[in-house]
Amino acid sequence: MVDAATDSPVSLQVYRYTLGDSEVRPVIGELEPGLPQSDLVAHAHEALTSGTFMCYAVSQADDFVADELCFVPQTDHCDILSIRTNGWQRHHGDHRRSLVEILNNLAAAVACGKLRVLDADQLVTETATGEQVLHFDISRSAELTTAREAVDDVLREAGIDDTTRKRTTLCISEAVTNMLLYGGGHGGMTLRRLHDRLRVVVADRGPGLNFLNWMEPPKAKGQASMGYGFKIILDYLDAVGLSTGPGGTTLLLDRITTN
Amino acid sequence: MLRTTIAQGPAPTVFLAGEMDLDCADTLREAVAEAARGAQMVVLDFAGVEFIDSSGTGIFVRLCLDMKSQSTPLLARNLSPAVRGVFEMLRVPELVGEDVFQG
Repeated sequence: MVDAATDSPVSLQVYRYTLGDSEVRPVIGELEPGLPQSDLVAHAHEALTSGTFMCYAVSQADDFVADELCFVPQTDHCDILSIRTNGWQRHHGDHRRSLVEILNNLAAAVACGKLRVLDADQLVTETATGEQVLHFDISRSAELTTAREAVDDVLREAGIDDTTRKRTTLCISEAVTNMLLYGGGHGGMTLRRLHDRLRVVVADRGPGLNFLNWMEPPKAKGQASMGYGFKIILDYLDAVGLSTGPGGTTLLLDRITTN
Repeated sequence: MLRTTIAQGPAPTVFLAGEMDLDCADTLREAVAEAARGAQMVVLDFAGVEFIDSSGTGIFVRLCLDMKSQSTPLLARNLSPAVRGVFEMLRVPELVGEDVFQG
């Protein structure tokens, strides 16, 4: 069991099964050694072929951790989401409910097509699609304000209504704030124009999302956590792409511009 | 950037204008602390707030709870639909109490 004092005592893993494969492959995090490939493949195959969202509790023989695995069928593959608690609740009170809520919210977002978890190839393709309209290197919140206003101008020119524009810039603010607070303190924000949408790419080279940040209440100095921010992002945008790992985090924030 | 103007009186009011994001904590805390001297409550007027995100919301929530514990509660008024929408999405009324919001 990982000591609770480590930086990431709670982590998200996403595995992917493609129909016909004999094993699943990690997309976020590492494959958990205690999870038999054969079971993962069997459940993923069942979820995919039946088109059924499935959720399993997972316990280990010597340590009842009761983590969960969600199998989310997609068109040609099945994403498997898991939040590993690493015994965190033993040291800091029972966060179990929060963890399950987080996992279920993420899995539901993947299931309904709102959230796409991107593998390395998809990330390269998706971040290069369309025409670059704006780019900002951001390391201070004042630069976020400038970037937000510039994106707002483009959204207005694209005919996006007032409420949708405000919601979009709010989501950008949430993603960039997370980058400044938790993603190494600096990174880039790029606006790209695709044929049917505007896409904001927020990318950092930080340590990857720490999902504990999704649960903590506002800190004494007042910063709220990405838990709130990510909820806003998922609720307010048309589509979201996510890639995260030790090499950094990239979020794709899409606003559809054609009906 | 958040700007503040204080109107002293029996119920001192801090008029907020601009953006409430990651940077607003010190400005907001200092204005409320100044307004709260000798007062029994402080009113925050949100009419001029053009933008708020979850960081700004978190700062407001923390300040509300701190002021309540010091027996100088905050009241919030003139929230725009955009600010109200963010507060409701983040369940701010549940966190700080419905009685914080006027009108």
